[in-house]
Amino acid sequence: MDFSGVISNHYGAFLAGAGMTVTVSVVSIAAGMFLGLWLSFGLISRNRPIRLPSAAYRSFWRGTPILVQLLIIFYLLPEIGLDVPPVAAAMIALTMNTAAFQAEIFRGGLLSIRPGQVEAARMLGIGMPAIRVRILIPQMMRLVLPALVNETISILKNSSLISVIAVTELMRTSQQVVSVTYRPLEAYTVAALIYLAMNLVLARAGAWFERRYAAAR
Amino acid sequence: MEHKPVVLVEGLHKRFGAAHVLRGIDLAVESSRVVCVIGPSGSGKSTLLRCMAFLDRYDEGRVFIEGRLLGYREVDGRRVPDSDRNIDSVRSVIGMVFQHYNLWPHKTALGNVTEALRVVKRLSRREAEAIGMETLAKVGMEEKANAYPARLSGGQQQRNAIARALAMRPHVMYFDEPTSALDPELVGEVLEVMQELAGEGMTMVVVTHEMGFAAHVADEVVFMDEGEVIERGSPDDVFKRPRSERLREFLDTWRARTI
Ligand SMILES: Nc1ncnc2c1ncn2[C@@H]1O[C@H](COP(=O)(O)OP(=O)(O)OP(=O)(O)O)[C@@H](O)[C@H]1O
Ligand SMILES: [Mg+2]
Repeated sequence: MDFSGVISNHYGAFLAGAGMTVTVSVVSIAAGMFLGLWLSFGLISRNRPIRLPSAAYRSFWRGTPILVQLLIIFYLLPEIGLDVPPVAAAMIALTMNTAAFQAEIFRGGLLSIRPGQVEAARMLGIGMPAIRVRILIPQMMRLVLPALVNETISILKNSSLISVIAVTELMRTSQQVVSVTYRPLEAYTVAALIYLAMNLVLARAGAWFERRYAAAR
Repeated sequence: MEHKPVVLVEGLHKRFGAAHVLRGIDLAVESSRVVCVIGPSGSGKSTLLRCMAFLDRYDEGRVFIEGRLLGYREVDGRRVPDSDRNIDSVRSVIGMVFQHYNLWPHKTALGNVTEALRVVKRLSRREAEAIGMETLAKVGMEEKANAYPARLSGGQQQRNAIARALAMRPHVMYFDEPTSALDPELVGEVLEVMQELAGEGMTMVVVTHEMGFAAHVADEVVFMDEGEVIERGSPDDVFKRPRSERLREFLDTWRARTI
């Protein structure tokens, strides 16, 4: 075992890899949230031409492995004339994936808000866009916060898959460290500990937000 | 014909699938009058009120609010659903109070009242809060302005909901069993606010099981059963001289329950 050698000679690489992991995850979660919000209202729409495509999208992205999705996006983009770097393909794939999961989370949250609240708003002349932004989404976000933290943790872990399309995030970094040090156990253990540390921070942040919201009631 | 009722309902029919819930309702509510709608559970009282606000769309008949058709437009003699914008415009003179208050739990008592003033009337925060506080004071809630609904009693929540509707300066208020979700000791404070409103000349349509309130405050009492108006008249007519067997039965069960 030689942790100190692996860490002291390569900590810069590990940090850069972790930075890439965080960047890709944060971008995907944020963009996926935006997309997922739209999608969740599509899923509960009474309008079939809106609801059915939304459900089909959700089912595809929830029902196929991320690795497969990633490779399809990676090879599809050049085919349709979009020459983007692998990291962009990775962000697109993760965004589209998490959008489906987040939409499903949001849908559950929205359904638990009593329709009477919307009727009261409509009787006061408040339009549907304002009802969504000012009445439904704020309440729903509080309800789904724990599920959203779970989804973020899962995207952060699954981002390790994008190493297969040569994005130098934490996982690929540790593979590169292995190839020069021949210390797989140490290198992967360091990677695991960094993932764990990031997720613990996330979980703490989530708990903090939950307490804050609970206090505001 | 100079004079128009605030609310005019003509031959209203409503079906939910095979269930024929409203079977030709006529109703006219004149300015400053209080109409109480009573009737057994499932007789269609809430559905009537909801159709009169176009929260449920009616199938046949017409609802006029201050002379304007609500929910539909007539195009070449055919009837088509109206735009949301027009519906909002016709509806803007109606204030509605629900059985379960339907307050927004993430907003304070004041926030609930100012929301529509800000978003719909586009008032500044200061103007909206001034009107909000004034309206909360009117229902005896100014001290609870910064409390969230979860911290309010049922009676306070319902008074908050009444203030929320009143702040938009409606010309007519609809109440759907405003006290039936309340603990008995909290009913009085809500009825008091409503009685005060009626005294100030507010036009009101009140679906209620509070016969005492109806007898006291109503100008007209309408008794519904199975989607039809069976009897209507002054409180004295309806409560003291019921003509139909169904109304007599209804009043008897009600008296038996309250004794
Ligand atoms: N959305 C709906 N879908 C199907 N049926 C409905 C719907 N709303 C009401 N109904 C039916 O319409 C009938 C009238 O209901 P409504 O709620 O108007 O009665 P109500 O007089 O208000 O009764 P209560 O005193 O219990 O409030 C009932 O038989 C009810 O089951
Ligand atoms: Mg009812």
